[in-house]
Amino acid sequence: MRGHVVLNKTVPNLEGTRFLMVEPVTAANLAAGNGEGGGKTLVVADHLAPDRGQMVAFVEGREGANAYWPKDAPIDAYCALIVKDVDFPQLPDEHTLPGTEVQE
Amino acid sequence: MYLARIDGTLTSTTRHETLEGCQLLIGRRVDASGWAADEPIVLLDRLGARRGSTVVVSTDGAAVRRRLGNTSPARLQVVGIVDRVTLAPGEGRVSK
Repeated sequence: MRGHVVLNKTVPNLEGTRFLMVEPVTAANLAAGNGEGGGKTLVVADHLAPDRGQMVAFVEGREGANAYWPKDAPIDAYCALIVKDVDFPQLPDEHTLPGTEVQE
Repeated sequence: MYLARIDGTLTSTTRHETLEGCQLLIGRRVDASGWAADEPIVLLDRLGARRGSTVVVSTDGAAVRRRLGNTSPARLQVVGIVDRVTLAPGEGRVSK
């Protein structure tokens, strides 16, 4: 989580929603635990109130608007949880698919 | 749907109420040659996938919603643990 977006004006169902600036974390940075992101920053709606620098998991897609049900909300990214710990070692970028065989 | 490799797990301090008690894994999408995407993804799992497992991921958020409730902000779930992959000639990388 990198910061907040404060709106001067918004559509009715988003009033009171907090908006966060979040930077996705690449696998290499996550494994290194270096606090770096590396992905393309996006804006997510939020009701959990993470602090700046905390890691969050967000959902992308119309599922983000589910949190507003039964109201409809024009939301396509939503902060679903605040991370406590990750157990994520650096595995190779190349993965051998199990039992891979190529048909004759 | 697509294939992913399970690389790790995460715990949370706070999560959306509909996700309480759900097992969450961290994975990376893999292509036919086994190459893993740069950005990890967080997956719901009910099947007990472990680190190194190859899994099938569904992006059907409506299915998650039916199971966890109308307000659930989640989309990706493990719907299968892969035993074997058979590729058409010329696709992917042959192991062993």
